[in-house]
Amino acid sequence: MVEDRAAVATLIQKQKMLYVGKSVGRVDSLDKVLGRPIYTMDIVPENVLYLKVVRSKVAHALLKRVDLTEARNYPGVTAVVTAQDIPGINESAALLPDKPLFATNKVRFAGEPIAAIASYDSSIAEEAVDLVKIDYEPLQSIFSPVEALNPNAPKLHEKGNIAKHMKVRKGNVDEGFRQADLIVEGTYKTPFQDPVPLEPETGFVIPEPDGSVTCVGSMQSPFHVQTGIAKILSLRPEQVRVIQAATGGAFGPKSDEMPVDVLGMAALVAVRTRKPAALAYTREESMIGHTKRHPFVTTLKVGVKKNGKLTAWEAKLVADTGAYASLGPLVVIRACFHATGPYVIPNVKTDSYCVYTNNTMAGSFRGFGGPQAHFAAESHMDEIAKKLSMDPVDLRVLNMLRPGALMATSQLVDEGCGLEECVSRVVKESDWYGTREKFSKLTGPKKRGLGIAILYHGNSLGPEGSDFGTVHMQIDKDGTVRLRTALTEYGTGAPSALLQIAAETMCLPLEYFRLDPPDTDYCNDSGPTVASRTITIGGRATQMVAGKLNQKLKEIAGDILQTTGTEIESTSGTYYKKLHPEESIAFRDVVALAYSKGITLKEADTFTAPKCEYDPETSQGTTYLQFTYGAVTAEVEVDTETGRVQVLKMVTAYDVGKAINPVSVEGQIEGGTIQGLGYAIMEEMIHKDGVVVNPNLADYYIPTSLDVPEIKTIIVEYPGRLGPYGAKAIGEPPIVLPAPAIVNAIDNAIGVRISEIPATPDRVLTGYKRRAVQ
Amino acid sequence: MYVPENQADLLLYIDKHQAGFQLIANGSDLINRIQRRQVNPKVLVDLTGLKELSYVKKENGTFRIGAMTTISELVACPLFDSQYGAFRDVAKKFGGPSIVNVATVGGNVCSASSSEDLLPLLLVLNAQVRLRSIKGDRVMRVEEFLKEKRVVDLNPNEIMVEAVFPEIDRDSRCAFEKVGMRNSLITAFVNCAVYLKLAKKTMQIEEIRIAFNRLNRKIPGRAKNTEEKMLRQTLDEKCLAAAIVTLKNELQLTSDFRASQEYRVEVACAIFKRTVTKCAEELAGEKLRV
Amino acid sequence: MSKHLLKFNVNGKDYALVVQSHERLLDVLRDRLGLKGTKEGCGTGDCGICGVLMDGKLVNSCLIFAIQARNKKITTIEGVGTAENLHPIQRALMKWNAAQCGYCIPAVILATKNLLDRNPNPTDDDIKQATSGILCRCTGYLKIFDAVKTAAAEMREAR
Repeated sequence: MVEDRAAVATLIQKQKMLYVGKSVGRVDSLDKVLGRPIYTMDIVPENVLYLKVVRSKVAHALLKRVDLTEARNYPGVTAVVTAQDIPGINESAALLPDKPLFATNKVRFAGEPIAAIASYDSSIAEEAVDLVKIDYEPLQSIFSPVEALNPNAPKLHEKGNIAKHMKVRKGNVDEGFRQADLIVEGTYKTPFQDPVPLEPETGFVIPEPDGSVTCVGSMQSPFHVQTGIAKILSLRPEQVRVIQAATGGAFGPKSDEMPVDVLGMAALVAVRTRKPAALAYTREESMIGHTKRHPFVTTLKVGVKKNGKLTAWEAKLVADTGAYASLGPLVVIRACFHATGPYVIPNVKTDSYCVYTNNTMAGSFRGFGGPQAHFAAESHMDEIAKKLSMDPVDLRVLNMLRPGALMATSQLVDEGCGLEECVSRVVKESDWYGTREKFSKLTGPKKRGLGIAILYHGNSLGPEGSDFGTVHMQIDKDGTVRLRTALTEYGTGAPSALLQIAAETMCLPLEYFRLDPPDTDYCNDSGPTVASRTITIGGRATQMVAGKLNQKLKEIAGDILQTTGTEIESTSGTYYKKLHPEESIAFRDVVALAYSKGITLKEADTFTAPKCEYDPETSQGTTYLQFTYGAVTAEVEVDTETGRVQVLKMVTAYDVGKAINPVSVEGQIEGGTIQGLGYAIMEEMIHKDGVVVNPNLADYYIPTSLDVPEIKTIIVEYPGRLGPYGAKAIGEPPIVLPAPAIVNAIDNAIGVRISEIPATPDRVLTGYKRRAVQ
Repeated sequence: MYVPENQADLLLYIDKHQAGFQLIANGSDLINRIQRRQVNPKVLVDLTGLKELSYVKKENGTFRIGAMTTISELVACPLFDSQYGAFRDVAKKFGGPSIVNVATVGGNVCSASSSEDLLPLLLVLNAQVRLRSIKGDRVMRVEEFLKEKRVVDLNPNEIMVEAVFPEIDRDSRCAFEKVGMRNSLITAFVNCAVYLKLAKKTMQIEEIRIAFNRLNRKIPGRAKNTEEKMLRQTLDEKCLAAAIVTLKNELQLTSDFRASQEYRVEVACAIFKRTVTKCAEELAGEKLRV
Repeated sequence: MSKHLLKFNVNGKDYALVVQSHERLLDVLRDRLGLKGTKEGCGTGDCGICGVLMDGKLVNSCLIFAIQARNKKITTIEGVGTAENLHPIQRALMKWNAAQCGYCIPAVILATKNLLDRNPNPTDDDIKQATSGILCRCTGYLKIFDAVKTAAAEMREAR
């Protein structure tokens, strides 16, 4: 960790970089634009067994009888597997050991896997699923997390219905409320949001002759999958080889249980039959079976002085984690830390709860509690502004975090905080005051509004796990520099950016570099590819390893040029003596020489982030090593006759520390923004008695090309302490702010507070009519 | 699957078999329902080879559209001048290019459901369908042809060969509007088609026909009470307000997870007002204050 | 289920193969012809990911029975360009890093290539309409639009 950030910032500005900070192409683009067969189901050969899963139709019940006889005897069925066929442990759980791979005597959600049927013909497997006879004895179900908190509610798991309770305690809120001139309360609700990766979950397993297995699949975290499969099959991790195939979108859930579910079931069939087995979820199965964003019910009580200064913030966030916890406990931790929004508040009391219900599962999803926390906080800030007759921007500017301030966790905001600049730039670009003035004068049924929301986002895992990244590099005889890591590509472009960092560190042309596929046989664990860690943690590891390799090359060059490695400089593949630059040797020659001398050009290293220390009872301390900051404005048009909301224009500014690849950073920002827009106005997975009623893309709406607003993206750079070149996380933050910004814009347009998203036309029109009546 | 090469072979086949088969046009959701084993027709009869059923003609003041004409072909036809802009409105919100390129007029009509956008427009155009069997043709109004959701008055040995409707008068227009959750690939909450004939000088409504994707059943229907209420009235704010009162009673919509009944009624009235106004404005050639 | 002889042309090559009556065009392309570039996103025609060109028109191959493609000319992503000879839209998508997870890209390329073949100077609205039936979850569409404009400019210049 670099201590003197001011010096680093100057250094970065002075440094003319070859690759870092440039919008160079990604290494995976060519395969993708050519439509090469790189995804799991593209590489599954002919004559493999296809699985179809038998799933519970009921949310909460005892399985009195599961009769697979007819299915087993159905012509063409090769194998049927259940929990009884598991040699190891019947478990596929990402964090708490609360979820089986196959249900045995009880099911807890509608869609829970009970068995899997395999055939060489997938339609036969599907027909056989219909032949399975199940007798359910329904149990009392809970579908509301608030209900589940009730001490009299039936216990869905042995340890009760609360999987996690997290707290922030700072100062004394009662005192803070006493000091306040005004206290504002509000309740905010967010829905289940489905990630909708365009490639549903897929996996393929080959049983190897030596008893090991090779697993290929769509996933984010190969080593988590390795651990999970080894547990199920009762194998040593080294006997489970996991390779990530090109992954058609992930967004979080493919780092949870799903890849282990899919590959676990396929592996059981493969190991039993000694034949390769593949499983591809249908879209419907995917939407029912994979984890989604936690719905939150958040109640806020905030004290503020007449002049707008916040004095106290009390928050209760209740998250519905569904039948099994998945990463819910960590989601509520992050939500807890961010529940106040990026503001200076002397007295804070936050309680967040991760609660079981009999709905389908919620788990990791881009933002990871941040969207829910900020939806509540930023909606509430506008409500406060309204009650104080203050402009929403002015209220935020008065209270927002600046270097030297303390967060809700009493963490000191360091100089790597670009929030102020983000806010001032979106205010300027959106012509905040002028536009709102203009909109207030519009007449007619279509009304316009402009809203703002701001965020902070703790980078990487922080308290969520041990934060390390491992990178391997080697140089082939022909001079190809290979980088290998278990950090995966699934659309972010981040692994490609690691090559930029490597090339920059080694002063070699980017064309020399190649990224190898993540394969547990050839690289070490790098932790999960989540929390936007690839560049912040993986990038640091890359710098270390590339540095070591570069050192080695310089020493070899120095040897030839009869000097020491420290006297060698290099540019674009030429190594030369600092004092006599005409004496040089080409990279390829250095490599050739190394090979001839038997020197291995191979390095690997792990970067481990310092641990975050904080009080587990009050969360006071250091929760994250660096923060991304951002601000977003949204301009909307509300049709007051149909309730439809069109988002016309958005301005987004994010302090990304250092944009390693600006066009890729923009791509992430734009993509996250649109995913956030969907969350704001159209996306909602609806359960009825625990059964998902819209598990398809006709009734679960994600934005189309015609729904996209004009987006102006502003990249702000205040280097952080953690990432390479000060780079910060940008994969997740962009999904956080569109919802509160849009909902605030709707309020500006029609004076209606939509406190439950999505702001569907129904909700908007109902709110508008109600207000018109008052 | 049976793949007829021409109408004659097809008519012979379906007359001979009468049952156990399903006629298919292009790109329908039938293929998905077969894959999910919701339906299991013994034989599929593929109509896509019948090129002779793909046409748009105007003869003796009547438009004749072949059942196998795709929505994109329909909209591209130069015979539809600005008076028939409603067809473009339908196509624009029908779905993306890959949907309008394969969805057929016949497929739309015979699917008989509230998600077939062409139906409300055909209803207000007083369209008829021509049905053909080996024994001959019969013609019936679309309204009567639609019996209930997914059920049409088609005999087992018949196919729909065309939809026909009369040219609309010079001083009339039709319009179509659809409202859903997003701007493309829309599952409609409500859609509405209106045909309006207006006496320009007096703004008196000489003829009006109004249809919604759902009126009081799960299939498209005409709001005849509202039509009657508006007939011969002067089209102004008062008239529309009164019409909406009648319309609210005439609409018997339901709530489901997509939208509530109250909302659907509200929006149906809103887009009814807009489509009528759009027709009137196009006729008057200027912005109206309604 | 009956068997039928399907004769059609895919990416300039004639094929004659026996298909089942209920087989989808998507499955024939992927499993029988080994052209894995066309993907399945939902199987219900709601995402456009399986898009191919059939006689020059964009269609959802998951909603078409293979036998309905008889005597037609199909173009899949494999027929658009090669590594040595990329189509301008492919080059442009690479320039803008617009292929993120890449799953929608084959359909996007076919839809936009089709647009550019007919309309060398598309407006923003034309571009949005052309891609309106294809869902992309990663990019937010904007860099795709940029790529189409870049490709259009390059194609106009080449004329």
